[in-house]
Amino acid sequence: MLTTSKTLDERAKNLKTIAREVRLNIIDMIYTAQSGHPGGALSAADIVTALYFDIMKFDPKNLKWPDRDRFILSKGHACPVWYACLAMKGAFPMKELKTLRQLNSILQGHPDKLKTPGVDMTTGSLGQGLSIGVGMALEGKLEKKNYHVFIVLGDGELNEGMIWEAAASAHKYHLDNLIAIVDRNHLQMDGFTEEVMPMEPINKKFQAFNWEVITIDGHNMKEILLALEKALTIKKRPICIIANTVKGKCVDFMENIREWHGLAPNEEQYKKAVECIRKGEQE
Amino acid sequence: MKKADVATRKAFSQRMLEYGEMDKHFVVFEADIGYSTYSYLFGEKYPERYFNMGIAESNTMGAAAGMAADGRTVIACSYGVFITMRAIETVRTFICYPNLNVKFLSSHGGITAAIDGVTHQATEDIAFMTTLPNMKVLVPADTIAAKKCFDLAIKTSGPVFIRLMRDPLFDVYDPDEEFLLGGSKILEKGNDITIVSYGDIIFQALESSAMLKKEGISAEIIDMYSVKPFDYQTLINSISKTGALLVVENHQKRNGLGYELSNFCLKNYPVLFDNMGLDDTFAESGKYDLVIEKYGISANHIAKKAMEIINKRK
Repeated sequence: MLTTSKTLDERAKNLKTIAREVRLNIIDMIYTAQSGHPGGALSAADIVTALYFDIMKFDPKNLKWPDRDRFILSKGHACPVWYACLAMKGAFPMKELKTLRQLNSILQGHPDKLKTPGVDMTTGSLGQGLSIGVGMALEGKLEKKNYHVFIVLGDGELNEGMIWEAAASAHKYHLDNLIAIVDRNHLQMDGFTEEVMPMEPINKKFQAFNWEVITIDGHNMKEILLALEKALTIKKRPICIIANTVKGKCVDFMENIREWHGLAPNEEQYKKAVECIRKGEQE
Repeated sequence: MKKADVATRKAFSQRMLEYGEMDKHFVVFEADIGYSTYSYLFGEKYPERYFNMGIAESNTMGAAAGMAADGRTVIACSYGVFITMRAIETVRTFICYPNLNVKFLSSHGGITAAIDGVTHQATEDIAFMTTLPNMKVLVPADTIAAKKCFDLAIKTSGPVFIRLMRDPLFDVYDPDEEFLLGGSKILEKGNDITIVSYGDIIFQALESSAMLKKEGISAEIIDMYSVKPFDYQTLINSISKTGALLVVENHQKRNGLGYELSNFCLKNYPVLFDNMGLDDTFAESGKYDLVIEKYGISANHIAKKAMEIINKRK
């Protein structure tokens, strides 16, 4: 960890500033591409920022460092948040962000391990990232490494049966190096999660699979940091952090609106979105 | 040709066990059919390198991908129907797309699982697997070839699918035979027609050749054990001599090796051509010999088809 000398308040405040920059980049990328998924990228922005800018062992100059923590964005459509963090950390030049989803870009519509520096695993087909994480966590155990595998799951993809196959196997192998964070924004493409396919109680489901479950406000940086730090101390059990979030967070006209799952802003909306995010800065 | 002691699935797993002693790097994933794929042999000796993920093929392949993500070689075991259909999207998007070192021990290929019925007969696996970019496909016919294909798969970079059989059939190869990616074996030399097959049906092709000899026809029999990539040079050499090609496979006629080779010939070297396999139908339960007879891929069907092709020339 980079920041042990700072107080929790200082760390959280610093991360909030970075998260605003991440959100501005997300909006900018999707506006430039005129394609992408702003809602779920904005809801996950605080979590991914905390991971990359505080919690994770990550060296942009040594992306294949064997001891690095692994990150999997199982909800791959939210990749602008990942690309923004990677670029801001220096894994590749910031100017690449302008090429999102375009021909010959290193930034594919969904994450591609072979094209994007710092992407540990290809994702984008929902419901499969947890299984990938199980494999990476088993690899860590076999190699006797101390790294952790962090996975950001969408709440919608919990509909997939494969998630629960993975949940069972993570328990079988006592994968305490596996930390799944559910971006619980309550919306999936076709509507509210509990209307499309009710999955509550999510915490009890993971608990029933013998996981340790921590529930937090996924936009409260202090809660995010404390939950992740607690997760790092848990032994013999995989950990699920249920982060309650708001889809489209920090862009008021996108918040909790189904249509902003996979829609790019026009020029006017773009300006308004930037204004919204910047306004948060002054608060 | 002598009776085989064990099926190719067992020979492959026996080699996996032997190889595990020399190569400590690879691991094995199983989906609760270890006593059928014989991967349990490896699991007993190397429990720390053996992961049984239960009856959950998608998660098995997904976790295999995660373990292979930083370069480790993984052998992932299941039946053909489950690897190539239940888990195909995981195989495609998370193993073939990132080009990971996962090798698939795929048992019960074609209707070699005849007695088990359609649910366990992988008769579309070649179509699915050869279509995936980065995937290589091997089908050893006998126990020697199965063991050699293990070595070949592990030395080949990226994903490799190895189709194996449920039951012991015959052995044709010497222990010192070499098997290569993109290779094939000419099992019998002939001048009148080229018969290409792979896996179990190679034995039917050899038997059909004996029948054809009695009619004064000499067939060249090629074991195209490397289905993808296939040995186009040996194919061209053979058909440029015989001028006729018959492809027979324990698979749907559609989108198997027959379609691949017909496409190749049409573009490069047009010759008299036909292919045999399941004709847009599912098979059924029954004894192997009777099922392949009923569904038209046994030796006498092959001999009859070869005569038909040759008669077109007259």
